[in-house]
Amino acid sequence: MKKMNLWKKIVITALSVCMLVPSVPAAADSTVPYDSYNYDYWEDIKFTPAPYIPDRSVSGTTLGVGTLVNPQDLCVSPNGSIYIADTGNHRILEVDASLSKTVRVIDSFDRDGTQEKFNSPYGVCVSKNGQIYIADSENHRIVVLEESDLSFVRIIENPTSDVLEENFVFTPLKVTVDYADRVYSIAKGMFQGIMVFEGEGEFTGFFGTIEVNITTWEKIWRKLSTKAQRSKQVLFIPTEFTGIDIDADGFVYASNIDQNGIQAVRRLNPKGEDVIKKGENLNVGGDLQTVSLSMSDYGGVSTIVDVVYRGKGIYSLLDSRRGRIFTYDHEGNLLYIFGGLGTQAGTFTTPVAIEAVGDKIIVLDANRRELLVFKETQYGDLINRAVALRYDDDETLAVDLWKQVLMLDENNELANVGIGKAYLTAGDNESAMKYLKLGMSRKYYSVAYRRYRNDFLKKYLGFILTGIVLLTAAVVLVNRHIKKKKGVYEEEGGAFDV
Amino acid sequence: MRKYFSKAKVQYLFYTLTHPMDGFYEIRHRGRGSVPLAVLSVILFSFVFSMNKMLASFIVNDTDPRTVDSLNNLGGVLLLYLLFCVGNWSITCLMNGEGRLKDIATTLGYSLVPMTASYVIATIVSQVLAQNEEGFYSIIITLGTMWTVLLALAGIMIIHNYSLGKTLLTIILTVVAMLIIVFIVMMLSDLVNQVYNFIYSIYTELLFRS
Repeated sequence: MKKMNLWKKIVITALSVCMLVPSVPAAADSTVPYDSYNYDYWEDIKFTPAPYIPDRSVSGTTLGVGTLVNPQDLCVSPNGSIYIADTGNHRILEVDASLSKTVRVIDSFDRDGTQEKFNSPYGVCVSKNGQIYIADSENHRIVVLEESDLSFVRIIENPTSDVLEENFVFTPLKVTVDYADRVYSIAKGMFQGIMVFEGEGEFTGFFGTIEVNITTWEKIWRKLSTKAQRSKQVLFIPTEFTGIDIDADGFVYASNIDQNGIQAVRRLNPKGEDVIKKGENLNVGGDLQTVSLSMSDYGGVSTIVDVVYRGKGIYSLLDSRRGRIFTYDHEGNLLYIFGGLGTQAGTFTTPVAIEAVGDKIIVLDANRRELLVFKETQYGDLINRAVALRYDDDETLAVDLWKQVLMLDENNELANVGIGKAYLTAGDNESAMKYLKLGMSRKYYSVAYRRYRNDFLKKYLGFILTGIVLLTAAVVLVNRHIKKKKGVYEEEGGAFDV
Repeated sequence: MRKYFSKAKVQYLFYTLTHPMDGFYEIRHRGRGSVPLAVLSVILFSFVFSMNKMLASFIVNDTDPRTVDSLNNLGGVLLLYLLFCVGNWSITCLMNGEGRLKDIATTLGYSLVPMTASYVIATIVSQVLAQNEEGFYSIIITLGTMWTVLLALAGIMIIHNYSLGKTLLTIILTVVAMLIIVFIVMMLSDLVNQVYNFIYSIYTELLFRS
């Protein structure tokens, strides 16, 4: 009977402990309606603390301009105000930086005396020189206005060139401008690349064309098929760009949909060449682990619809398939992943555009007709600051930040590498090896190890050599002794058989 | 037990490694080999193989340690060993090979010793290697593997009294035979499973009707 009681006690204790343990992290995460995670070296999912949490949502009603209809684009102007392309209402909204009130509603402009209206303005962008560029999609033109007084500057329309088809209709969707007022526009059905306009709006060529990759197998298959079959096959056309942003040096970040999920963003230099850096896993395409689309509606590779350059080499991609935001650093390392689809506050249904204002990330949801604002947590802030320090080559200053990151998320490989590299510069090779191994950085681990090995040899080479000499001498002596004994044995008539 | 693992047998194993021609000849004709010793060598190889995946230094080792399953490796290696022995035996029986199944088993088991040793050495050496020095690691393993292949080739040639060309031909045919064996085993197990299911369904049917 007593034994039974004991067993009962054990079972009850075990059960209560089981119930207690998972409830702790669940309580901590219960305020965030999505999972935050990252991929480790083995491409396994590791859940992390949330880098950003939902702050609030802003709808047209709260801005006092009525419901937004199918809004498609967001832009932060150099003076801090935020422009929203309210496509379905044929207007552009200018909202103040804190997203509390509407500053201006732009639905028409004065073109040499005549009032003209927009028709489905799909994209908007404000240049450094204070001019608003509006991709007026159904009017097939880009309208340029002065930001200060909305006076008409110019219109970019009807691009003509030898490389364009005769009956080409220019339908600009997204637009961005660099420091030299070069205009980059993503046009509907334009597979050759981003269209570039210079000067007074002359079309000068395509930019950042995505090459089509045909596998050998597809080539063979095409060779074998007849003409009739070939005409029925899927055409190999490059994917279209989906979103566009530009950094201070004039490098264009353009997102695209990659069927293979490998590269969903390009960093294009002024010549139009892709110069993006990829991390250890050679992937800048969103989720690494996906089930196939045929297995689940929620499956398939990430559909990246927009990109935002957030400064210090950090950029974020917006995935509409699973509503996630992927953030990378300038070396192509995944920093953190957060966000999700749903109907709860802080989740998306159809995210279309992403922007960053200060320490906040704003996502525009076309279907919810809302702007969702996410604010940085301590975890996100630490990573952002540490990566910024590394971008400025002040990596040693980042150690404290990385150590705090490790306290929140001990699996963080970037933090381990960051600390390891700092130890390496400080000359503490053993600690460097420990952290670099945890961060799975073969390259730097090897550097640390080589230094450690040299130090070790310098210190102990004398002892090692003495040891070897002594050992050899001992072996020789013992051998001689054995041989002597054996010789005696054989002389006595014992046969030695192998 | 003594008989199989006697000092003379073990010493003869090492003699064979350096003198394959004479060594394997005597294994075939004078009974100086030991099948249990050969099997032990195979088991040792699988163990060393798993250990290498686990313990080789971070610099040269890209295996996720969580995926290493030594029991699984042991099963796989033993199965391959068995398959090769049986496959080679069935082919050589038809092609006037003189070797018995036990000779084939002994030859293959003995041949694996250099590879086992190379894995041990490479694993130890890897501990003191940095990047750009992985060459040493791979060359050790390559040498061991080449030695093993040469031993196995020589062994099969000698125990069956074949020419080199015929040996190579039989090895290719052995691989085919292995595939056929796998196919037949899988088909058989499927058929047996179906028969079992059939009988079981009759049994349940009777159970429900009575």
